[in-house]
Amino acid sequence: MDSPAANAAFAKQINIKFPLLSDMNRKMLTAYGIVKAHDVQGETYEWAQRANIVIDKNGVVQHIEEGDSAVNPNNALSVCTDLHKKQAAK
Amino acid sequence: MRRVLAAALVLAALPASALYSRTAQKEQVAKVSLKVGDTAPDFSLLSDEWKTVRLSDYKGKKNVLLAVYVLAFTGG
Repeated sequence: MDSPAANAAFAKQINIKFPLLSDMNRKMLTAYGIVKAHDVQGETYEWAQRANIVIDKNGVVQHIEEGDSAVNPNNALSVCTDLHKKQAAK
Repeated sequence: MRRVLAAALVLAALPASALYSRTAQKEQVAKVSLKVGDTAPDFSLLSDEWKTVRLSDYKGKKNVLLAVYVLAFTGG
């Protein structure tokens, strides 16, 4: 797993402004059902899928994308924008 | 977009730990799968600044986008 130190170097390299989190013991990934088992030549390995998940202010999941489609963040971003507009209109 | 917190989880994929049996791992993996409309389980994770970040920190304050990303530095 990538450590916080490795993430810090990566964050600096690509100049991002949001937190990069490490799930070193895979607790969160397992709770969210993102870790999947894969059988490869008779052995079972586990790794995390790419995933984008949008959670609203009330803690309710509003959007999930897994796998190849999650490489593009635009769908998740537009869900966030819509949520924000709806909440601002209230 | 200003109020959206984008949090990325940067994760490297490693083979299953030898500490667990293969069967136990499979059961653990298969048990939970999140759906739209579910309450997101709280988590507590270390950020790149070595600060603890909890999902509950943002409850009532911000919408959260979690981007799960496997292997930093790969551009994938």
